[in-house]
Amino acid sequence: MSISLSRLTKRYGPNVVVDDVNVEIPEGSLTAILGPSGSGKSTLLKLIAGLEVPDEGRVIIEGDDVTDVDPRYRDIGFCFQHYAPFRHMNVSKNIGFGLRVRKQPKDVIEVKVRELLELVKLEDKANSYPAQLSGGERQRMALARALAIEPRVLLLDEPFGALDAIVRTELRHFVKELHRQIKVTTILVTHDQDEAMEVADQLLIMHAGKIEQAGEPTELYERPATEFVHSFLGPTTLFKGVAVRPHDLELVSPSVGSIEGVVTSIMELGFEIQVTITLSDGSTPWVQMSRNEFRALGVTTGSPVSVRERVAQ
Amino acid sequence: MKHTSRKWSLRVIVIGYLALLVGLPVGYLFIKAFSHGLGAFWSEVTKPNAVAALKLSAEVALIAVPVNTVIGIGAALLLAKKKFFGSRALTLAFDIPVAVSPIIIGVALILAYSRIGWFGAWLSKNGITILFSPVGIVMATMAVSLPYVLRSVLPVLIEVGKDQEQAARTLGAGAFRTFWQITLPAIRWGVLYGVTLTIARTLGEFGAVLVVSGDITGKTQTLPIYIFAVWDQSYDTIGAFAGALVLASISIVALIILSSLRARERKLHVDLA
Amino acid sequence: MDLPAKPSSSLLGAPPARKGWRRFAVRLRSSSGAIGGGSLIVGYLSIIVLIPIAAVVAHGFSFSIHTQGWGGAFWHWHLTAGFGTFWTDVTQPAAISAIRLSLWLSLSVAAINAVMGVAIAWVLVRDSFHGKWFVEAFIDLPFALPTIVVGVVLLFLFGTQSPLHIDLFETWMGLMVALLFVTLPFSVRAVQPVLASLDGEAEAAAKSLGAGGLRTFVSVVLPSLWPAVLGGFGLAFARAIGEFGSISLIAGGIGRTTTASSYIYNLTQGFLWTNAAAVSTALLVLSLIILIASNVFARRFQHRLAP
Repeated sequence: MSISLSRLTKRYGPNVVVDDVNVEIPEGSLTAILGPSGSGKSTLLKLIAGLEVPDEGRVIIEGDDVTDVDPRYRDIGFCFQHYAPFRHMNVSKNIGFGLRVRKQPKDVIEVKVRELLELVKLEDKANSYPAQLSGGERQRMALARALAIEPRVLLLDEPFGALDAIVRTELRHFVKELHRQIKVTTILVTHDQDEAMEVADQLLIMHAGKIEQAGEPTELYERPATEFVHSFLGPTTLFKGVAVRPHDLELVSPSVGSIEGVVTSIMELGFEIQVTITLSDGSTPWVQMSRNEFRALGVTTGSPVSVRERVAQ
Repeated sequence: MKHTSRKWSLRVIVIGYLALLVGLPVGYLFIKAFSHGLGAFWSEVTKPNAVAALKLSAEVALIAVPVNTVIGIGAALLLAKKKFFGSRALTLAFDIPVAVSPIIIGVALILAYSRIGWFGAWLSKNGITILFSPVGIVMATMAVSLPYVLRSVLPVLIEVGKDQEQAARTLGAGAFRTFWQITLPAIRWGVLYGVTLTIARTLGEFGAVLVVSGDITGKTQTLPIYIFAVWDQSYDTIGAFAGALVLASISIVALIILSSLRARERKLHVDLA
Repeated sequence: MDLPAKPSSSLLGAPPARKGWRRFAVRLRSSSGAIGGGSLIVGYLSIIVLIPIAAVVAHGFSFSIHTQGWGGAFWHWHLTAGFGTFWTDVTQPAAISAIRLSLWLSLSVAAINAVMGVAIAWVLVRDSFHGKWFVEAFIDLPFALPTIVVGVVLLFLFGTQSPLHIDLFETWMGLMVALLFVTLPFSVRAVQPVLASLDGEAEAAAKSLGAGGLRTFVSVVLPSLWPAVLGGFGLAFARAIGEFGSISLIAGGIGRTTTASSYIYNLTQGFLWTNAAAVSTALLVLSLIILIASNVFARRFQHRLAP
């Protein structure tokens, strides 16, 4: 195990922000800590980095107990939510900072910085200053700066939070590809479940300072351990009094012997269609389907339909 | 139109007020000082007592400005980074010298450190004189120019935040390197702004220095005291104006530096947004 | 890119992780610099400002502590008349008239510049015309100019040999001009940023509801400006009541135009330290009260206005 946290607790006054967290993060994994804002996920990341000191518990990185070690000796790469660029240094100087701190010879730093610039595709921005970069470029610079010291662990705090939608998607792919290339144990913090599902191979769901569930994304999506994980990881709707995924429901013609109802609203979201039905028992589940399925059904608002759970094929 | 006429009358009132209150005196200073010719101006400012006063002012600034800069930056770091009991009181204490009459600052220093003051007997036994000496002038100047660096640096420091410093730490930098290579460059315009204000205030201080200096010609006269004495003792108009012009020129240069720094600072703020 | 698949910690010669530090040690280490620096700052502040101010107040109440040097008793306390002399010193006719003059001059100057400050700030923020930058630069000039320079210039401009034939020598009007000059930047700079930060949406809303220009200003803009105006008033007042250099020359040497600061200075010239300390204490308390009061008022307004 690359990182293990045991009994980790952090309080701010009376508020327990991180509450008795015990977790093992496998070597070389890309783990996402996922949770709503205020769930303690960023604090957990800072505890691993040493930027916050825990009140109780231990942080162990690759077998070394680093709980009492200053962040500067932990060999971690940390990317801040707003990238924390050194504004008075150009991109090369930013990336080379950690190497200069470690008193590497000039030529070694130069070669290394050039490799990293290539890796994060900023070759032509080497002499630019952070103020002249776009948000995505700043984020890539921050990644390169963190990777320069060849960290044991790479920690990313809401890495895509401050970017617009297109750059965001681009950078997600970039991080995933980067991780595939260099295989450094990576933890990222996010509040966006799609992002976490897409990028990470391990998920930690946090809620009110506690880990709700940990595991692979598919496993968590299909077998959520708690109500919170179920509702947080994807859309849910109430059917027969139970929370189910709306894409696990289907519309059928009323004759098949299921609960009858009427289509009350149709929302077309490009490829995805959401149909809300008012059933005879008064419940109003919604069903998610593809545009093709919807076309084939040929229902409109007011159509009499009934709902049932999709049978796995 | 009613709207336009109101706008015009407001504009005229404001510009008229400023022209009469500020423009007239400042313009008069320059006209009057040069009305006797550059030669007269030069012979006034090169009189031995004037030169001695200028030298003393420069020496005082050379001690007071660096000390207050270091203290100001230190206090700003402390107030921005640490939460501690009494931080509000500390901020308030720094502001006392600008909220209080400089005459009172002078009286206060005398009552604490001169022969008649609390520590006077002990100090004079150890050969330190405060009253009527450059030491007293330096202390008075330090007191009145105390808050400017803190006031200019603290908001910039809060704006910059902790992220860059924390990033430097995770990259292995120690406290010393982080301060010199990360924190200080990030707040450099704020520091420069505060230092310029401190220099202007240091060179121009009159009341507090007057009380402690004893106004001894050629010995304990800073430039402002010299100007006052030249008028008060010999009604020397040209001498007073020549000295005033030197001081005014220094402060106008300071003002230009300040406004260009403010423009830069605004630019920095836009970048941060 | 030849980054190893499994990065090792010592690759770049990073010092090995330090083990065995207990948490309190980490905390102590991280704040030991702050404690040291903090003590240094507080020490300096005490020597330069706090102890002297305490000495003034103590002397004002004739409570004096004299040091006798290292040998023998370090402290020698002698407590004389106390509050009684303070009261006698402060209520001498000359002292009263000086404090009264300072008070009403400072209040009126702060009030006039509060009004003019809003007008100037309004023109600087909302109006645009050629040469506005010049007007902008003018505002800080009184702050940057040494007070004695102001004093000299005003003496010659409005003295007995005034080229404009306006003789304000030894009159309260002369003092007022000087005080209006030196307090101007405080009044303007307190209001200007707040006015600039008002986005104009509320004003547009008021106008769309049919309010006229003046009504919009009074009922929408002014309420948001109050805290800033009060803050500027407090600063200007504090500056005016303590001002000495710019008024010392035009005031001449007569009792009618002796302000509190000048009065204290005159006492020091006669080595009447206890009297000087008593009046200084009164003035100190006065300016602190006004400063704190305007702060409290400003904060109360701010609270009410906060969305």
